[in-house]
Amino acid sequence: MNITFHINGSSQTVAIADENTPLLWVVRDLLNLKGTKFGCGKAACGACTLHVDGEAVRSCSYAIKFAEGKHVTTIEGLGTKESPHPVQQAWIAEIVPQCGYCQPGFMMATAALLEKIPNPTDEDIDRNIINVCRCATYYRMRKAIHRAAELNAANVEPESENS
Amino acid sequence: MKTKLALLFPLFLGAVIISATTNTPTTSNYMEVSPSEDMELTSEEAFDKMMDVLTHQRCVNCHPSDNIPKQGDDSHPHYFGIERGEENLGYQATNCATCHQAENNPYSGVPGAPEWSLAPHTMRWEGLSRIEIAESMMDPERNGGRTPEETLHHLTEHELVLWAWKPGVDANGQSQELPPVSKEDYIAAVKKWFEAGHVIPTE
Amino acid sequence: MAKKRISRRKFLVRGGLGALGVLAVGTYAFRNPLRRSILEMANSIDLPYSGSGMEPMVWFEVTQENNILLHSPKVEMGQGTFTSLAQMAADELEVSLAQIQVVHATTATGSIDALSTGGSTSVSGLWQPLRELAATMREMIKGEAAKKMAIDSTNLQIENGIITAGDISMTYAEAVANVSEWEIPDTPTLKDIKEYKFVGKPLPRIDLEAKVFGDPIFGMDVEMPDMLYGAVVRPDKIGAAMASVDSTKAETMPGVVKVIQEDDFVGVVARSLLEAENAKEALEIEWNVSKDWQTAAIVEMLKVGNGNPMILQKKGGGVEDGEDTISLEFSSPIGAHAQLEPNGVVASVEGDKAIIKISTQVVGITRKEVADRLDLDVENVNVIPTYLGGGFGRRLHTPHAVQAAVMSKAVGRPVKYFFTRKEEFQHDMFRPPTHHMLKGKLTQEGTIDTIQHDFSSGGVAIGSVLLPSAAHAILGADIGAIRGGFCQYGAIPNIRTVTWHVDLPFATSWWRSLGLLANTFAWESFMDELAMKAGRNPVEFRLAHIQDDQAGARLKSVIKAAAERSGYHDTPQNGRAMGFAASTDAGTPCAQVVEVSIEGDEIKVHKVTCAMDPGIAVNPDQVRAQCEGAIIMGMSASLFEKMEVVDGSLTPTIYGPYEMALMRHAPKEIDVVLLQGIDKPGPVGEPPLGPIGAAIANAVFRLTGKRLTAMPLKLS
Repeated sequence: MNITFHINGSSQTVAIADENTPLLWVVRDLLNLKGTKFGCGKAACGACTLHVDGEAVRSCSYAIKFAEGKHVTTIEGLGTKESPHPVQQAWIAEIVPQCGYCQPGFMMATAALLEKIPNPTDEDIDRNIINVCRCATYYRMRKAIHRAAELNAANVEPESENS
Repeated sequence: MKTKLALLFPLFLGAVIISATTNTPTTSNYMEVSPSEDMELTSEEAFDKMMDVLTHQRCVNCHPSDNIPKQGDDSHPHYFGIERGEENLGYQATNCATCHQAENNPYSGVPGAPEWSLAPHTMRWEGLSRIEIAESMMDPERNGGRTPEETLHHLTEHELVLWAWKPGVDANGQSQELPPVSKEDYIAAVKKWFEAGHVIPTE
Repeated sequence: MAKKRISRRKFLVRGGLGALGVLAVGTYAFRNPLRRSILEMANSIDLPYSGSGMEPMVWFEVTQENNILLHSPKVEMGQGTFTSLAQMAADELEVSLAQIQVVHATTATGSIDALSTGGSTSVSGLWQPLRELAATMREMIKGEAAKKMAIDSTNLQIENGIITAGDISMTYAEAVANVSEWEIPDTPTLKDIKEYKFVGKPLPRIDLEAKVFGDPIFGMDVEMPDMLYGAVVRPDKIGAAMASVDSTKAETMPGVVKVIQEDDFVGVVARSLLEAENAKEALEIEWNVSKDWQTAAIVEMLKVGNGNPMILQKKGGGVEDGEDTISLEFSSPIGAHAQLEPNGVVASVEGDKAIIKISTQVVGITRKEVADRLDLDVENVNVIPTYLGGGFGRRLHTPHAVQAAVMSKAVGRPVKYFFTRKEEFQHDMFRPPTHHMLKGKLTQEGTIDTIQHDFSSGGVAIGSVLLPSAAHAILGADIGAIRGGFCQYGAIPNIRTVTWHVDLPFATSWWRSLGLLANTFAWESFMDELAMKAGRNPVEFRLAHIQDDQAGARLKSVIKAAAERSGYHDTPQNGRAMGFAASTDAGTPCAQVVEVSIEGDEIKVHKVTCAMDPGIAVNPDQVRAQCEGAIIMGMSASLFEKMEVVDGSLTPTIYGPYEMALMRHAPKEIDVVLLQGIDKPGPVGEPPLGPIGAAIANAVFRLTGKRLTAMPLKLS
């Protein structure tokens, strides 16, 4: 079957035999966007987290058929080296990654969190950020999440003054 | 990017023809039920049959008393600290739909159905007796303001309720236990009990 | 240890390396064999860099863009080695950090570590040779520049890879262009550490951007043209042997290219990953299982007294049981690595050559195993390491590289294959479970008179490809299991430490810090018990039993620093108690203080203060990052993690049921204090894992009066 959806801002149509193929493998193996990671394939670790219509979704457990007409964003579409997303800026400022494998999933989950809760408390972070990091970079991630919220606020305020 | 993809298509077409035969539940584990008996059910028998289902973990796991969804046949607390949240859908950014979609996922073993969510706190059943569950279920104060007709509809036609008979597989690809009554017998029993005036037996 | 200088004769110089390099410098031999020290030394073993002496090793290349390519013999698995090596090289090469690009050395470029990346030895082991090579190369370039500029080299200034004399300047790339005869100087005197611009500074990791923007740097991300996907069957049960295989159905599954049956494995190659996995599930296999193991049987096997004993420490007399004997037993469970990137590999075998791209901690061993199995010349097998999505010791075993190579050869195309998460958990090379018996006697004055530690463990080093089987016979004890097993309080008059080795029915091996976590849990919980029995403050009690030598002085320093910085006190306040513990691992002492409360049944860790003396911290920020990560990983193992053996299978097989520390469990405050008690870098990546478990248990004792003696620590 053909499935058409938007990925990182551009429209794509994929032809696929099994409509239940996880979105993860379409993104990684067909679209060759390797930033979204396979960790467990059971929606347990969160390494494959990306956004579907702005919501955090574990793509290993998301059948491609559900993506029809949706807007999918991966780490490659979150920000670029030239124009990083505030979450990425904060991750760099706090020097969060160690091995780095789980980090795109955490950054995508964080970006979704900040859309819902622009200034999350520690409790908000504890509840919503439940991915697994074996290097256990949680301590710096928490700092980076708060910093990203501050960066977001700083970015938003001047605009609202102008408008 | 378009051009590149066009080249990739033929490769991928061949590369993702996947059998749908794996990871689907292969056996049902219904208890033996004699169909002939169903025709003669009394209201009390119908009640018991309905309650055999409603007290099963497939139902009670999502009607918790403590705001924590339960998982699996051992009804363990949902892993990763998931809780009810303000709208019975989990937390704001990490919620039911982060992992649960409108259908079971055959690859991950994550269950799914339309409107996947916890039953509201007023509809908590965990730890209640059959009679208490029935009282709760029929009480508009607690059942979301449903009339008996609406409750009957919820019990017999709501896809999320009927998901109990197609719960899919667990993370290891093992089938999850089904309720102890078949879907058809359950629906017949529910209908019978409502037709007979939905009388809740006394202790 | 005597400094080993690089001999001029052993220097390799290559010119005209094509597009990339105009000069490459390396060595022919820099072999420093694994020291087979006596067992007392094995505990503080600090494995030096162990390069192969057989082949030339390229370390640095000057590129035409005037950048330096540093071929790292060590792999980057998150520990920050690439960044530290770049800092060391930049300082001696007189280039900016941005001019250094660190890449994994491949077996074709040569400078791989013949042993492994592990044991917290990468920076400490390369500290001397890498700087000497960098300094030598700088002098060689300077010499060529002097010739080209016709100026005496003593009059040349160097900054950021540009050589200047007055108004004339020349880049390194220009200096080294078209040089055919190189003059190799004696190893120059290295700079004073105070002159370094990069070493000792908390600079950002050089792989930071790649990791924040999702660049495809991991083994899992590798593709090769025309690649197929493989899958290999693994049994659910311990000790299962394949009795029969019926591949009739699997062979007809969509996308299947070939089912491969070897003596030691059965694999499927298909067009896609999911097709390969589906076909694997369709294989009908009968397994012979001689016994359905259960956790209880493993625990019983492991009891001290059931295995093979070996005395590690014997000073004075042992403990004789009596009324005044204080004794406690401790245990730790089977632990999984649970690294996020599954083990995987892409192999391409064509004719008599093989290319293996893989996340591995044992580049050289991976290469040799593939060459041996396929009967290829080892020179024809090029192992290209990628960034590792977590190592933790798991990637010291790579039989999957052999399997992928066999499958690739069978189908004549590259094959990519990796473990499912279930396979990762069931077929991990587990951290072995342990059992500990501690006995002690106090004097009238409240000091320790006698102490004895008997501990039993499954294999860590024994049976590992990293050590020849003869090593066990020579050493007598498992050099991995004994990490942290020794008594670090040398002032105690009577000390006895005995290690018991038990062969378990499933594979156990290297897990970050090896025996350190469990041994320190036992030792430092017992020290706490003795301090309480003696009615003494646990900090002061520890200090009173440390001997007066350099190791003792460093241990005392970290203990004092942790106590002072945390404001350690021995009485619970406002529902919180502090717990103290210290360890010495591979020569690096570390002390930690935790602040703990009990919420419901949950042990909540609020703050951890960590004082560590790793010697010179080449990158203090990354040393801190290692401490923070090790503390939370150690918390995870101490409070939550546990594999069980149920009806013959290792379980659970997924995150969640395999409970681990998550964001909500991480302490809100981690305060790391770094001391420098020696003038070289010491091990960093594992030592801070030592004290955490005992520190938490000791805090819980102060809150509840309950001595928790089994990991994972649970109140009910």
